[in-house]
Amino acid sequence: MTITGTIEKKGFGFGTWALVAEDGKTYELKDAPKELQQEDIKVEIQGKIREDIMTIAMIGPVLEIESFKAL
Amino acid sequence: MRRLMLLCLFIFGIGFALFNFKGLAQQGEFDSIIVDFKEEVPIAKISEEIQAISQQYHQLVNLNSIFSIDDRIYIVKGDKQVLKELKRSPLSKQTEYIEANYQYHALEVPNDPDYSKQWNFRNINVEQAWDETQGEGITVAVIDTGVSQVPDLKLTKLVKGYDFVNDKADATDDNGHGTHVAGTIAQSTNNGYGVAGIAYKAGIMPLKVLSSTGGGTVADIAESIKFAADNGADVINMSLGGGGASTMIEEAIKYANSKGVVIIAAAGNEGRNASSYPARYPNVISVSATDAAGDKASYSNFGAGVDISAPGGSETGKIIQNTLDPSSGESVFVGFQGTSMAAPHVAGVAALIKASGISEPAEVLSILKQSTRKVQEDHLNHFGAGHLDAGAAVKLALKGQITFNDFFRWLRNSGYLNPGFWLDGGAVALLPKLGMVIGSYLFAWFLRNYLPFTFGLNSGLIFGSSGLFFLQGLYIFDLPQWPMRLFGSSIPELGNLIVGTSSLNPLFASVLIPLVLTILFIGHPSLKWFAIGSSIGVAACLGISAIAYPTLWLLGGGAIARSYLMINALLCLGLAYLASQREKQRA
Repeated sequence: MTITGTIEKKGFGFGTWALVAEDGKTYELKDAPKELQQEDIKVEIQGKIREDIMTIAMIGPVLEIESFKAL
Repeated sequence: MRRLMLLCLFIFGIGFALFNFKGLAQQGEFDSIIVDFKEEVPIAKISEEIQAISQQYHQLVNLNSIFSIDDRIYIVKGDKQVLKELKRSPLSKQTEYIEANYQYHALEVPNDPDYSKQWNFRNINVEQAWDETQGEGITVAVIDTGVSQVPDLKLTKLVKGYDFVNDKADATDDNGHGTHVAGTIAQSTNNGYGVAGIAYKAGIMPLKVLSSTGGGTVADIAESIKFAADNGADVINMSLGGGGASTMIEEAIKYANSKGVVIIAAAGNEGRNASSYPARYPNVISVSATDAAGDKASYSNFGAGVDISAPGGSETGKIIQNTLDPSSGESVFVGFQGTSMAAPHVAGVAALIKASGISEPAEVLSILKQSTRKVQEDHLNHFGAGHLDAGAAVKLALKGQITFNDFFRWLRNSGYLNPGFWLDGGAVALLPKLGMVIGSYLFAWFLRNYLPFTFGLNSGLIFGSSGLFFLQGLYIFDLPQWPMRLFGSSIPELGNLIVGTSSLNPLFASVLIPLVLTILFIGHPSLKWFAIGSSIGVAACLGISAIAYPTLWLLGGGAIARSYLMINALLCLGLAYLASQREKQRA
């Protein structure tokens, strides 16, 4: 699946990287690469939702990144 | 012979406990002394005396406040020794009294310097719970990113855990989340360092299922739940969530629940109307988060599945614990927020409830829910049963149990903890009196747990059973002794005063007085409790007398006296029962 949105750092624990999609839905980025660890950048991410993963942040579906591009 | 030995052991135990129980008089802290000068002492004389004291002890003597001028109350710095000397000195003749200026503490407050920042602990009323238990003997499994023994966890007991992420026995934290969560549950407390934890005498079982980036698989989580259940965990905390339904986790939860483990999970931080997994599984207590004002935290999930709410913090007030900074590995005190922080509050209180003797998970949940501070107008189920209340939960958990704390509190409140009390009673009278005190405590306990309790009942119990009997041994120069004997006697003993014998008067040592009191007062809202109490107290007194020394005036000391006392004791009990039943019906 492909999702477009903005990167945000959510303040749970020491902080978690999230993608807030254009429709307002929040995805937790699984192992966000360095390039995506910047707030407020607009990106398009291709990846899949990991139903088998639980996290400390609990902010929404966990998105495993396959590829991404900055917009 | 066996009975005699048992009795001796019992008396020894009670005696030992009583003499080791330190009332305020023995354990109270003070570093100053109150001197109250008599009204008739002239001001000039007072200043002379004050000067003498300050010279002798090299201390300033001050008025307590500007309001003390008229009352002539002065404060002198000093300890026990100074107090003793002052009391013995000629100065005492000029004063109304000289006494220790005891320092009062509201409740048990730990000495951890940053405890004052833990608004969340005040919020859940944990100090009241600490008066009873600190979670001794309970193990809480923290299924998280692992737990590192940071400085403020040094005195906390860590039991054997497991790292399911890297498959090794050492479950050290490389994220900082799990250590923070463990801190809320059992941070080393009263160690003069850092902050406090809720069930600080409980053990922590670290189970690492989440990696350094804070995520982990359902397979690892399910296995860790089973590990906890098989390795003696009493409570499981899961400050984690997300993903979909998993049969493997559901089965593991069912298994742990069947082994008596209480399972708690965070409701989730999506701000939506449903708990996430695993909080939404059956047999898991789902915890939503509140801020310092007690409102739902903006991020917290709510609605379906939420059982209870606890402090999770917000931007304006976070939950502070000791953990490690993953970038440096150094120990830090840091504020986090989230339902992750709310869940361990409930896990800590669940540990306190379990330490109070409740073992069944369903019962623990029911106590947690019943003891909450209810929130009015909670249409969206933001708070489940309400706000977590540790003090009320532990109190409810202990209801129906006889504990030493409760017994001593009762003794103290009933005025039985006066040190002179047990000695002045005299050796002969001590045994039966002791029986009466214990007997009336048991009745008081029973009624308090099963019937509405009032002050009148308590005083009725005392006057019915033993009276303030220590007064009997009190002789004061130039004062008549009869008032001491009167107030020092129980109702059945009142007759002795008239005849002046030590054997009981059959008229007084019977159901008669309680009956009259009950008839007179049954319509009165508080006096009727005095009547009921005295009825039970007299029953205790007569029952003990029937067994210990059945001597009645005119009836002698044989079987007749014994059965007379026994029958009347039973009648008194019946009377109290009937009177209290009537009350129940009205309620």
